[in-house]
Amino acid sequence: MTAISDAATAIPAPAVTVRRQTNSGRIAMTLAIVALVAVAVMPWWASTGTIRMILELCCYIAVAQMWNLLAGYAGLVSVGQQAFMGAAGYALFVLAQTFGINPFLAVLLSLIVPAVLAVPLYFLLHRLDGPYFSIGTWVVAEVFRLVASNLPLVNSGAGMSLRVMSQYSAFERNVAMSLLCAFMLLVTLGGSYWLLRSRFGLALIAMRDNPVAAASQGVDVSRLRFLVYVAAAVGCGLAGAVYFMAQLRINPPSAFDPMWANVAIFIVMIGGIGSIEGVLIGSLIFFIADRWFGEYGATYFVVLGLMTLLVALYARTGIWGLLSRRFDAPWFPFRRFLVDPNR
Amino acid sequence: MTAVLSTHGLVARYGDFQALYGVDVELHAGEAVALIGANGAGKSTFLRAVMGLLPVGRDMVRLDGEPVGGTSADRMVKRGVAIVPEGRRLFTGMSVEDNLKVAVDQAARLGAKGGWSIERLHRLFPILKEKAKTPVQSLSGGQQQMVAIGRALLCQPRVLLCDEISLGLAPKVIREIYAALPEIRGAGTAMILVEQDVGLAKEATDRLYCMLEGRVTLSGRSAEVTREAIGEAYFGAGHAVV
Amino acid sequence: MQWFDALVQGILLGGMYAQYALGMALMFGVMRIVNISHGDLVILLSLIGISMATAWGLGPLAVLAILVPLGLFMGWLLQKAVLNKVVGSDPLPSLIATFGLSIALQNLMLQIWSANSRSLPGGGIESRSVDIGGIYIGLLPVIVLVVAVALTWGLDLMLKKTRFGRALRAAAADVEAAAMTGINPRAVYALATAVAVGILGFAAVFQSLRSTVAPADGAAQLIYAFEAVIIGGMGSVWGAFIGSMVLGISQGIGFRIDPGFGVLAGHLVFLIVLATRPQGLFGKA
Repeated sequence: MTAISDAATAIPAPAVTVRRQTNSGRIAMTLAIVALVAVAVMPWWASTGTIRMILELCCYIAVAQMWNLLAGYAGLVSVGQQAFMGAAGYALFVLAQTFGINPFLAVLLSLIVPAVLAVPLYFLLHRLDGPYFSIGTWVVAEVFRLVASNLPLVNSGAGMSLRVMSQYSAFERNVAMSLLCAFMLLVTLGGSYWLLRSRFGLALIAMRDNPVAAASQGVDVSRLRFLVYVAAAVGCGLAGAVYFMAQLRINPPSAFDPMWANVAIFIVMIGGIGSIEGVLIGSLIFFIADRWFGEYGATYFVVLGLMTLLVALYARTGIWGLLSRRFDAPWFPFRRFLVDPNR
Repeated sequence: MTAVLSTHGLVARYGDFQALYGVDVELHAGEAVALIGANGAGKSTFLRAVMGLLPVGRDMVRLDGEPVGGTSADRMVKRGVAIVPEGRRLFTGMSVEDNLKVAVDQAARLGAKGGWSIERLHRLFPILKEKAKTPVQSLSGGQQQMVAIGRALLCQPRVLLCDEISLGLAPKVIREIYAALPEIRGAGTAMILVEQDVGLAKEATDRLYCMLEGRVTLSGRSAEVTREAIGEAYFGAGHAVV
Repeated sequence: MQWFDALVQGILLGGMYAQYALGMALMFGVMRIVNISHGDLVILLSLIGISMATAWGLGPLAVLAILVPLGLFMGWLLQKAVLNKVVGSDPLPSLIATFGLSIALQNLMLQIWSANSRSLPGGGIESRSVDIGGIYIGLLPVIVLVVAVALTWGLDLMLKKTRFGRALRAAAADVEAAAMTGINPRAVYALATAVAVGILGFAAVFQSLRSTVAPADGAAQLIYAFEAVIIGGMGSVWGAFIGSMVLGISQGIGFRIDPGFGVLAGHLVFLIVLATRPQGLFGKA
């Protein structure tokens, strides 16, 4: 026994520091802050048309990142996030138009609706096996659409218009939209990054890599999944509220359009699931493709669908996955490195 | 005389973890060979590698001298190798009879010929006839083991690989099962028996190999190998720590 | 009398849904794969059938005789080219792959056939009625129901009594043990998917006879098939049939209450079953 305690005192513990940031991370962080500010001040350098375009892109990014969080970390593949987008969108319109609440305050208040809805929905759906969970989320979105089509509170199938916005000038509206857009990016992307760097992040990554092993290490997987589900619902709700506020109009088919799921899946799978970098890459690719090829209509979507299929078969980790295997230069680093200051 | 089954420098990995470090084993026609060793020695891995359930180099496993390493499990059945897997792995939800019929179907489809039929199995293990329509998950451990052995035999194998068939069973049941082995050998099937019980292994086989940490540490005739030699090979007392 | 009529209509509708649900139950029960393009495959077969009928003046039986083998081939090809690469414990790749396929198929059909609704000329069978016990019921829905029962019964028999059925059940129970017994899992899966899509050949003919089809309809059919399988209980062929009946009846009664409520009624019953008995009516807890 003495041999062991001698050994314990013989080797001094080295003084190490924990390094979180990388060079690539610093560069990316700088660029991200610049981009965020640029978005916030869009009215001063962009036309209304450009603002609308960038806003739409930011909504795609936000929804895609929420889908990424759900599928890439919590293992929940949802094809029905549009349920929460439409729910928050409608909540916004009802609060602002019907009850006369300040529209920008209403955006924030509308987030309560997806948050509250997400709780019972999760308990309903989470017992379903993988692919059945997915279709279940789709059914839920369909139910929302059908209910909205028949609900007088939201003007049933005819939809609603956000006429109260006319009391603000075009410039004021642009400023508000830009700020909301920047806020949305901050909450969804920034929030995800903050989450990954926190202690929840370790649990999330463990859950992503191997839920059983994570659970055996004390991660409360089911509770974490639930929290991620609710967070994603709120994130999508925010994107929905922002999007429909810019559209000034909402009706059941557009509110609960499955197109959002299609785009989110494409963006995340092509870009690289389970990473924020992947979402940005995928969004950029989608945006460019949409601008250049969108006019080809159905054929364009055939190609998108085939690309998603091929990625799922042959390149599951997406572009960022392939890149990061070669180069270790994350834009949003969260790994911990032990650095010995004496070396 | 060419061995019916032989392995040459067999190496196998589970991802980054290497489980077998060059294992050489031979099995001749009509022989019963035991593979003993502690938990984690690599015995089950060895059988799985031979059966094609793990990727291995083509030349590492030979059947009648012909390289078959890495051939998929169902093709190994076609070549005349069958396995009674660890944990029995019966088809739950199906009856005893259906479990056996699956093997009969496949043997017929693959053109495998041999003396095993469901009736002959009923004579070997009468309980199987009694419980023919029972779902397999309702059977006792020993009965399930009999079904598993029967299922493998109905593949009409030349080589039968048995992975820990005595595991979790009462001594009386183990004796019952081991009592059936001579008839299986008599039918011309060569066997590799992975066993934790050294006494059982010695009694039931002609030769034995002992494994430790993915390597063969002892090989010899079952009747001649001493308890001490086995003890050293089993626990590695005589080996340097690498 | 009105409610009885709604019940009857619901049962007949259930017969249609059963033809969608059977294939899905088979694929999920054996491979634990849900093919998101399941509904789109029906529509594709329907549109092909309608085009052939229009071009060559074929009757429904002839179209059926072509579509079922075509469905068998399509299913087999789907498994070999796509699904065999994504079978495994991780459900994500198969989900995404079939999702991408669904998008591609829908838009391909849109490109080829445009968004117009079409139906299969049936030579009058759509309007014939038959007198059963004093009630006049459409002949076509009765045929649909009878075929659905026959298909379910046939599928169940195949699974229980044939060599292929046993191999399928074995692969579903434990695919590695099945391989150890001489079963080639990939070949078995390909046949299973072939059967699943072959059954859709029937559904394609009947759907295009009883109503119109358009390229975007696949999504709704997928949801109905899925709801039927969940209500009935996964892993059971007769369960899928009963689930289809329950769904059809729910929708029938919903339609009777209010024409806009029919589909929603089905969804609500589905959600109730999910909340109270998630393993389905015939599933094991």
